[in-house]
Amino acid sequence: MNKLLMLCGAAAFGAEYVTMPGQSPLIQFRIAFRAGSANDPKGKEGLANLTASMMSSGGSKTKAYKDILEELYPMASGMVNQVDKEMTVFVGTTHVDNLEPYYALLRDAITAPGWREDDFKRLRDSQKNALRLGLIGNNDEELGKEVLYSKLYQGHPYGEANLGRTSALESMTLADVQSFYKRHFTQANLIVGVTGKYPAGFVERIKKDLAVLPKGMPSTVKLPAVKPLTETRVTIVEKKTRSVAYSFGYPIDVTRNHPDFPALLLASTWFGNHRSSGGNLYQRMREIRGLNYGDYSYIEYFPNGMFVLEPDPNLYRRSQIFQMWIRPVEPPTAHFALRLALFELDRLVDKGMAESEFETTRDFLMRNVNLLMKTKSAELGYAIDSKLYGIPEYTKYIQTALAKLKHEDVLKAIRKHLRKDRLHIVAISDNAADLRKALLEDGPSPMRYNSPKPGDILEEDKLISVKKLNLKPEQIAIVPEAQVFQ
Amino acid sequence: MTRPIVPALLAALSLATAAEPKKIFDYPYEQTDFPNGLRLITVPTDYPNIVALYIVVNTGSRNEVEPGKSGFAHFFEHMMFRGTKKYPPQKWEQIMKSAGAATNAFTSDDLTAYHATFSKESLPAILELEADRFQNLDYAESVFRTEALAVNGEYNKNSANPTSKLFEKLRDLAFDTHTYKHTTMGFLADIKAMPEQYEYSKTFFNRFYRPEYTTLLVVGDVKTAEVKAAVEKHWGGWKRGAYVAPIPKEAPQTGERKGHVEWPVPTAPWIGVGYKVPAFNDSDKEVAALQLIGSLAFGQTAPAYQRLVLQEQKVDVLFGGSQPRVDPYLFTVLSRVKKQEDVDAVRESVISTLNGLKDTLLESKRLQALKSNMRYGFAMGLDNSEAIAGTMTQAIALARTPEAYNRFYATMEQVTPEDIRNVARKYFVETGRTIVTLSGPKAK
Repeated sequence: MNKLLMLCGAAAFGAEYVTMPGQSPLIQFRIAFRAGSANDPKGKEGLANLTASMMSSGGSKTKAYKDILEELYPMASGMVNQVDKEMTVFVGTTHVDNLEPYYALLRDAITAPGWREDDFKRLRDSQKNALRLGLIGNNDEELGKEVLYSKLYQGHPYGEANLGRTSALESMTLADVQSFYKRHFTQANLIVGVTGKYPAGFVERIKKDLAVLPKGMPSTVKLPAVKPLTETRVTIVEKKTRSVAYSFGYPIDVTRNHPDFPALLLASTWFGNHRSSGGNLYQRMREIRGLNYGDYSYIEYFPNGMFVLEPDPNLYRRSQIFQMWIRPVEPPTAHFALRLALFELDRLVDKGMAESEFETTRDFLMRNVNLLMKTKSAELGYAIDSKLYGIPEYTKYIQTALAKLKHEDVLKAIRKHLRKDRLHIVAISDNAADLRKALLEDGPSPMRYNSPKPGDILEEDKLISVKKLNLKPEQIAIVPEAQVFQ
Repeated sequence: MTRPIVPALLAALSLATAAEPKKIFDYPYEQTDFPNGLRLITVPTDYPNIVALYIVVNTGSRNEVEPGKSGFAHFFEHMMFRGTKKYPPQKWEQIMKSAGAATNAFTSDDLTAYHATFSKESLPAILELEADRFQNLDYAESVFRTEALAVNGEYNKNSANPTSKLFEKLRDLAFDTHTYKHTTMGFLADIKAMPEQYEYSKTFFNRFYRPEYTTLLVVGDVKTAEVKAAVEKHWGGWKRGAYVAPIPKEAPQTGERKGHVEWPVPTAPWIGVGYKVPAFNDSDKEVAALQLIGSLAFGQTAPAYQRLVLQEQKVDVLFGGSQPRVDPYLFTVLSRVKKQEDVDAVRESVISTLNGLKDTLLESKRLQALKSNMRYGFAMGLDNSEAIAGTMTQAIALARTPEAYNRFYATMEQVTPEDIRNVARKYFVETGRTIVTLSGPKAK
């Protein structure tokens, strides 16, 4: 498959193309711009996302959105956007039978948005609801993650949620959207990905059509160093909910193109592979102790983890965090669960994993990385990301690195990049004051089970249940749900 | 590499409108029935190196007939990962890991499915591994009790979403005796009592984890003859069972039912409307017509969607349709209303949209566009081996064969505007209707 991958660079600050001609009658597009919510001006948080929505779901100069839906309908096609800090991508697929009419709609979405006031109003409402209801109201786990990111990157271009803030959305205007579009949706930021059995000359046509976008200058913002945490901080978001969801972590220096990335990926896969029962954290917390539904760890941004089993591509970032995701636990076990997760983090940092575990995980990743490319669209997305990170084709990159990797390299990477302290911990919880009090008192939080447990687990629990967090009152803040991303 | 197999459907979809319609599921597949009742379906594809194995058990929350046992099929899905004497969980994990496998499982009303996607050379080992747990599952009571807590954790993580609660209420109200009364997660009280059900779990396994309930789907870079031989070797000795769950029949509904959910967290109000409709039957034009109405009446190009979502902008989430089920179930319409004061008007709009189908004949142009949407939508969803297996899983739940989809899509092709009108008159009636609303705390 890699033979077909062709990277065609253009002149400095010009559009770039990643083309993967193939035999599939499904033509898949990923039209990406290197701009995103990191470019949102202060007071206009959420603007990149709203601009992308106006492009993909707001109609074009010549066609109302309603008419576009009518046209797309018989083709069973559509286009969706994904906005992250430094990247916005429009993703769509059509059958080659419908390529001409579909492409015309996609082209117009990118080059000639309609900017109608009623679409603006609808999409702004929709984004507000995605933020206030979809995220804050209905998804405690994703909320925990997004609050964690916003806390770790406070005052940094990554410091705001991609969906923005309610108050900013309320004051946003159509003129804001248009000016953001002009400034950032330019040839200098454009990367076009296309795959499938498209006709000869098709890519040349796309190039010509998209050349109407302003040339522009790259939107890449200067990323200051992330302010280091000097001590552990806890943010408890108080809301009416049955259970307590946690997310915690800290920024790391490792991104996909860092020499230690494969080693750290292996460490995190062993420790907490996403949605897999094979991870150590999952085994210790859920399988042995039945504390919750699952527990995982990450070294790259992975939104929507409760809905997807593989990460979405095109979430390129120049700064990442190490993150642990503890799925909701029953309130009486919330203190113990946090102590246990931190106990396991201690163990990871102090001891890493056994050589045999290293080998098993390496063998797993060697093959599992192929599954990330199970669709052509994903393959295309990874190819675009690899271009941005300046690394070879992703599966080859990982497999080559893994083949050379030694147990000691992984242990070294853990010691270098991970630590036991200075975390930001986010909890989503009802009765936040009670949780805060328990954490401050730091008293025993014994675990009771509904069935006999092996002696070694009970012994371990004795240590965990008195593990000191040593938090001072100023380190634990309670934020009411209504104030989050307000 | 072998010559790519591009199904005729994908290669030339536009021809599908010719007089003799192409089969919607056009991959060449082979269906084999073993003497013990086990069924094997192999689908060789041209996606290289990867195999998707889906093991589908025709048992779901529909089979939970005893009181207090709601949610058990789903709970049991968890227990299936608790190992055997030969392959304890750690060993199972290790083999799956060495295959680079992505594994998981899910349960719905009518089925439980266990799936793994992995490198093709691991197929024989994984077929053996899976055969062992389906025949020799063995776990201690302490392990069982712990796993019940993980299920409670699953209920907790789902509970932040108001639509979970809305559907729980809608089903509870709409059904009196049939097991569709409860959701697949089950009633919370039953979930809380799960740790005490160890003995029952063995009964459940003995009843339903039997070859006559089970279908293996093997999709990807495989050779059918080799798969058949391996399945024969590892699964051939599995003993057939005799149990059939006495699933209660639901008496016809005789009046409208209404309910309301008070949601503790701020939310825009939701409205769920359900109408009783017949069971899935791949040759029944009524069922096919009902299947089409969801998109016709509430899809993005439907007049109701365009009015409520795009023009008036009273609603920001709207979808409706009938989900095929083994027994009679519901046609449901779900809407999220931006303002509380619009709830009554939106509810009336949903009802009058369906009533409108009784009087006015649909333009055949719209029906044609929908049929095209269906064909392309189906084909475009089959873009990798795992997706093909996943799609077929539903057909297995309903009729244990991919042919169910071929027949059903052929039946849908036959549906006329008159058929749409007739089913609307028959099923969108007040006596078969259940309405549940949900709203957050009153503004202070």
